[in-house]
Amino acid sequence: MLPTPTIPSPDYERIYEPAEDSFLILDLFESQLSYFQSKRFSKKTPLVLEIGTGSGIITTFINKHILPNAIYVASDLNPYACKTALRTNKANASSINVDSIRCDLTTALLPNSVDLLVFNPPYVPAEFVPQVPETSEDEHTWVDIALNGGPEGMDVTNQLLQSLSDTLSVDGEAYILFCARNNPDTVAQNFMSNYPNFKVERVIHRKAGWEVLSIYRFLKLS
Amino acid sequence: MKFLTSNFVMCAVKSCAGSDKSFPLHFSECKLELEEQDFNPDFIISMLERLNWDAVLSVAKDLGNTSLPVQKPENIEGNEVLLKDLHSLLLETQIVEGKMTCGNCQHIYYIKDSIANFLLPPHLAN
Repeated sequence: MLPTPTIPSPDYERIYEPAEDSFLILDLFESQLSYFQSKRFSKKTPLVLEIGTGSGIITTFINKHILPNAIYVASDLNPYACKTALRTNKANASSINVDSIRCDLTTALLPNSVDLLVFNPPYVPAEFVPQVPETSEDEHTWVDIALNGGPEGMDVTNQLLQSLSDTLSVDGEAYILFCARNNPDTVAQNFMSNYPNFKVERVIHRKAGWEVLSIYRFLKLS
Repeated sequence: MKFLTSNFVMCAVKSCAGSDKSFPLHFSECKLELEEQDFNPDFIISMLERLNWDAVLSVAKDLGNTSLPVQKPENIEGNEVLLKDLHSLLLETQIVEGKMTCGNCQHIYYIKDSIANFLLPPHLAN
């Protein structure tokens, strides 16, 4: 088993603490190691975008164990997450190829540039998606932002799905995590109807406490 | 923000997406630091393929570096001097503070404490 990155001096009042969902993504990448090592991306050096990097554990794990020669952009709305992600990576892996930016989904990324996108979204059904806090008194909101995804837990994921085809390179792929209440099978079917240039499939699923989590691969064929 | 990242980011305003002036962003009032990294020539050689060289030149010029070759260098395996220059510019140069301006809508994005902020104010958010 590949070692899980350590997170130096995390502040879990302000960033999301890695949990079952994060570890499912790590396990998926470990199980797909040979797939990624033999995968031909559109460029020799793939560009990896992680959205909502939080502690940075996922970017760090992929950089350290799966694709050490890729370029990484780990993004988050939360500035504390950006700093933590860089620290986590530096404590575990090479930092020559890793950067972090504050960004909303894919809005600042060059179109058709991302070869691998990873997103552990705020998938928990909740009344509403919280606003980005503006004062330091509201900073406890950061953890809610990492979790709460609106009535079906799909508000933020749906927004990302709308920009996915424009963001990924040809042969690029996205890995997105869902819980059962997001109705991921229906989401995948609908996405393929709207975007016939994509192949979408479930690549791993697991019962975690009272949740059933799954990860889907969105592969852009053309 | 690493110099390298400037090659992959553009203005986040939706109506700038189709404009060729929204990339690369224009850098000004930048404070730079050199963050030492392990030298990995193979990584630089393979990464060069995907870089937009005109954007590299533009950002380098914004930061006061006009010494780069006008054309994207090729076959640089044995050219240790150039490889070290690219290593230091693209991978070690940290923009610690600064402004990035969109050439289309003139919106200014700020870099603070090495983190570039591409969040838009509500009236510009998509």
